[in-house]
Amino acid sequence: MTSLKSAKSPSSAPLRAWFDVRGRRLGGWAFALNRLSGLGLTLYLFLHLFVLRLLLQGEASWDAFIALARSPLFLTLDVILLAGLLIHGLNGVRVTLVGLGVAARQHRTLFWILMTAAALLLLAGGWRIFTI
Amino acid sequence: MSTFHAVIIGGGGTGGALAHDLVLRGLRVTLVERGELTSGTTGRHHGLLHSGARYAVKDKESAVECIEENRILRRIAPGSFEENDGLFVAISDEDVAYSEDFIEGCTACDIPLERLSREQALRVEPNLNPAVRFALRVPDATMDAMRLPLRFFATARRNGAEIRPFQEVVDVERGGQAVTGIAVRDHVTGRTETIGADIVINAAGPWCGQVADMVGVEVPIRPSPGVLLAVHGRLCNMVINHLHPSGDGDIIVPQRELSIVGTSSWVVDDPDDLSLPEEHIERMVEKGSELIPAVRTARFRAAWSAARPLIGPRGADTGRGADTGRELSRTFKCFDHIDEGVEGFITITGGKATTLRGMAEATANVVCQKLGIDQPCRTQEVTLLPHTAYYG
Amino acid sequence: MSTQSIVLRVARYKQGDPAPHMEEFTVEADRRTTILTALQEIRRTLDRTLALRHSCHHASCGTCGMVVNGREVLACVTPALEEAAGRVAVTVEPMQNAPLLTDLVVDMDPFYEKYNAAGMAYLRRSEHLAAADLPAGLAAFTRFENCLECGLCVSTCPIMGSDPTYLGPAALAAANRALEEPRDRDAAAVFRLVDRQAGCWRCHVAMECTAVCPSNVDPAGGIMALRQKVLRRRFGRLFRTAAD
Repeated sequence: MTSLKSAKSPSSAPLRAWFDVRGRRLGGWAFALNRLSGLGLTLYLFLHLFVLRLLLQGEASWDAFIALARSPLFLTLDVILLAGLLIHGLNGVRVTLVGLGVAARQHRTLFWILMTAAALLLLAGGWRIFTI
Repeated sequence: MSTFHAVIIGGGGTGGALAHDLVLRGLRVTLVERGELTSGTTGRHHGLLHSGARYAVKDKESAVECIEENRILRRIAPGSFEENDGLFVAISDEDVAYSEDFIEGCTACDIPLERLSREQALRVEPNLNPAVRFALRVPDATMDAMRLPLRFFATARRNGAEIRPFQEVVDVERGGQAVTGIAVRDHVTGRTETIGADIVINAAGPWCGQVADMVGVEVPIRPSPGVLLAVHGRLCNMVINHLHPSGDGDIIVPQRELSIVGTSSWVVDDPDDLSLPEEHIERMVEKGSELIPAVRTARFRAAWSAARPLIGPRGADTGRGADTGRELSRTFKCFDHIDEGVEGFITITGGKATTLRGMAEATANVVCQKLGIDQPCRTQEVTLLPHTAYYG
Repeated sequence: MSTQSIVLRVARYKQGDPAPHMEEFTVEADRRTTILTALQEIRRTLDRTLALRHSCHHASCGTCGMVVNGREVLACVTPALEEAAGRVAVTVEPMQNAPLLTDLVVDMDPFYEKYNAAGMAYLRRSEHLAAADLPAGLAAFTRFENCLECGLCVSTCPIMGSDPTYLGPAALAAANRALEEPRDRDAAAVFRLVDRQAGCWRCHVAMECTAVCPSNVDPAGGIMALRQKVLRRRFGRLFRTAAD
């Protein structure tokens, strides 16, 4: 429509597009969850590499870090990390399957089955993290 | 050599077809429409490409116009019609008796007809009322009410016409006794501007009376709304009509995976102030299920009203007996307001969705004759661009 | 029929405004009132400058796509009272992921640039009432493709919002249909269009497109079917080359 001059072109707005879940159904929520956990895991990766750098600084700073890593706060963060891995990974399995047409009509059921598995694994893993 | 500038008020099917016709004849064309294209009456009809059979008994002029345009449209807009034909279904003794006049009328109007026995009818359309006595097959077809006219707009625009939706006419400019242009409010920018013209054509459908009022001329337009009903489920592939004199709810048109039942009739003053009478919706279900019983239990999708641009004395019910507007002629009429002393302003009104091209041809002939342009109409031969070509 | 007062919070924008703003309107509604007829009533009685797209009023033309209470819908088949229930106001906004022209009107040109590239034919064989006989002389019953070109799927797709080069659910679903009934369309051209990063591989299975589609197109299913076709073609080529 050349006679109508458009003024507001939609620029790329990833955060709004991913996380504005008003009116979304389960698929949209699962997508947002995967983006969130994906961002979280990416952030964790950088933190992890940063921490590993400590190895270069010798035994003393490494031992100090390990002491910190045994604290309840840190263990809780580990559990959150595990949650992120399980959610992102298992939902990712769903995305791969459904994305190729496998169980597409049952994608909601698949979501709940996989998230239940994630919850169970998280409970088991969390228990191990705190008791080992 | 200067090019005459024609301004068309109204972005319905008539306006679109007229823009297409005038541009082919070498005029500069600007079309203004207050909303989205076809957002008036054109978009809201059930999508019937008329065979004309419905009018073959009482309004032969209209029937002939319809069957001729039916053939032309299939030729110039291929791929825009579900060409499944239609059935006129006889259910009662009265219907059977009426069929004689009906067959005679169709034959006189050169509308092809084929008689199907009850068994044949039920085999081609299994959802028909099992009480069907017989059916008459006619060359009805289904169109998309918006997308067919959009092909005219697309082609006109590609050929240089300026199509301006969301521009509402707020006044008509005068120079002495002549109309010299229009003033429009642009709803995209909020600003008002004037557009000069050598001729202004009022193609606003049931709103053409309101436009004519701005100029101070008379147009015998009687907005006559009707209710339509859409239900879920493609209950038929062919258009199903009741074989009886025109009445409420006597047609079912398939539209993708919906079935449209229509329609009813009453008269209003303002085509923007349309009610949606609940009794009319119920009547659509009632009458529709006489043709296809599944209509009664089908899930509701939508009910809406649309105002036909019928020609007749203006003013709604005057109290002299209920006038539903159904008996008015369905033909279209072009009014040259020079007859009222106003130069440069004509009105085209009446008509049906099926006759949009023919209405445009008649109007364009008047326009060219007034401007002294000697160009024949070519719209019968030019294949239209697909509707998607309107965009981009 | 009993009526009720409802409030609509409508996004308003005219070109030249710094940004859209919300305006509230109060209208009477009964159980037959749709968001579309409510907006038309606002236009008729309260504000003639309110611009919106509409045409068929029965979910056939696809022009009245909007975001109502955060959800993509066709205004003509969205009951106003249901949207108003339990809320102070019904929020009505234009579709996302398309340039805003005015108020509730978006520019559909970008939609069609991608959609047209898929080259889907508009008419298809009717799969409905398959057991019915055909009348003499008719090769097949035909019907229009389901897609209404409404843009609701594009509006709700989270990938469209973050990657404007993505072909999008409507164009991809159309491409899948074009491959299923190619007629004279060049299938290789369709594959070239979709088998790339911004094509069928960009989808991340949010499934919102299928959830909002008012016309049973199932774009998500179409994208998956498209991927299967692409993979089959790729593997087929692989084995053909290996056998040579």
